[in-house]
Amino acid sequence: MVMDDSTDLLPIGMRVLAVDDDPTCLKVLETLLRRCEYHVTTTSQAIMALNMLRENKDKFDLVISDVHIPDMDGFKLLELVGLEMDLPVIMLSAYGDTKLAMKGISHGACDYLLKPVRLEELKNIWQHVIRKKKSDSKGKNKTNKPDNATSDSCSGLRSAGTENSDENGRLAKKRKDQDEDEDEVKENGNDNEDPSAQMKMRLIEQVLKN
Amino acid sequence: MDRNNSRRQVAAMKQSLFDQGLLDEQFIQLEELQDDANPNFVEEIVTLYYRDSSRLISNLEQTLERNPLDFNKLDTIMHQFKGSSSSIGAKKVKAESSLIREYCRTGNAEGCRKSYQQMKKEYVALRKKLENYFQLARQAGPLERACRPK
Repeated sequence: MVMDDSTDLLPIGMRVLAVDDDPTCLKVLETLLRRCEYHVTTTSQAIMALNMLRENKDKFDLVISDVHIPDMDGFKLLELVGLEMDLPVIMLSAYGDTKLAMKGISHGACDYLLKPVRLEELKNIWQHVIRKKKSDSKGKNKTNKPDNATSDSCSGLRSAGTENSDENGRLAKKRKDQDEDEDEVKENGNDNEDPSAQMKMRLIEQVLKN
Repeated sequence: MDRNNSRRQVAAMKQSLFDQGLLDEQFIQLEELQDDANPNFVEEIVTLYYRDSSRLISNLEQTLERNPLDFNKLDTIMHQFKGSSSSIGAKKVKAESSLIREYCRTGNAEGCRKSYQQMKKEYVALRKKLENYFQLARQAGPLERACRPK
């Protein structure tokens, strides 16, 4: 079964890290993201966000952060996340300053959203994850040896940083375990599961259903 | 019969808040996030806003008392205040915040202080009106769904 990235694939469980020092904005953002059926982790501090990301690179698919956070310049956070983790980052700001937006994009943000963010905008952010991984895999994984068609098209979803041989091995294991693990894909507490594989599985299930 | 009346009152009150330019589309967005799992979401968010922003208000007032006025500091606080206010759809408060920011940019201390007084008035008035609104909505029963005002 060949998987394509058509828009009827639902990115349920995409793992988002949301950063905003304003509790009201953060609460609203969290609720909106949950409504999109993403898995959401929130923090009001950039340092905390970085620690979480550094602790486990594969724990998140996307970061969404306000530009102005007291403990660190939002652009600095953006740079670090881009350099160290190579994750897509979306910047948020209450000001629609074109200069700020340009700065964000040139620092590597894949999008710049104006607060208050609307549900419709957040419903589309998963596309940045797919896009980024596709463009990363195009550049890096030239030696990818697919077992079959599914494995080949799945490679675009894998984290850019992982080893090639590991990837194929893990994916094979995931396909085997898919039936057993289907019910365990809820929260992040599962030690054995690779969370990004959970998102992949949901996407695969959607395709297989169609 | 009574219920319907209450609901109509709630809708009318909400309509008037929009007509007076006190609330914008964001408030509707918040109502749309309200569901069985989160039946009082809007009220909770508004409560959170007023609790958190009171901290900003005292920072603002302290900053405004100083002479000469630290425009950068004021602007920074206003930035956050504006962001917070916009997330609950507080249209007038948000507009007044933008005005203060403009005065900061041009270094107009008098303008800042005057605008702040105006903004605070709006901020306090909105709180009271929203409290009344939520009280009425609670009495009318949980069928208050998001409906776009005309």
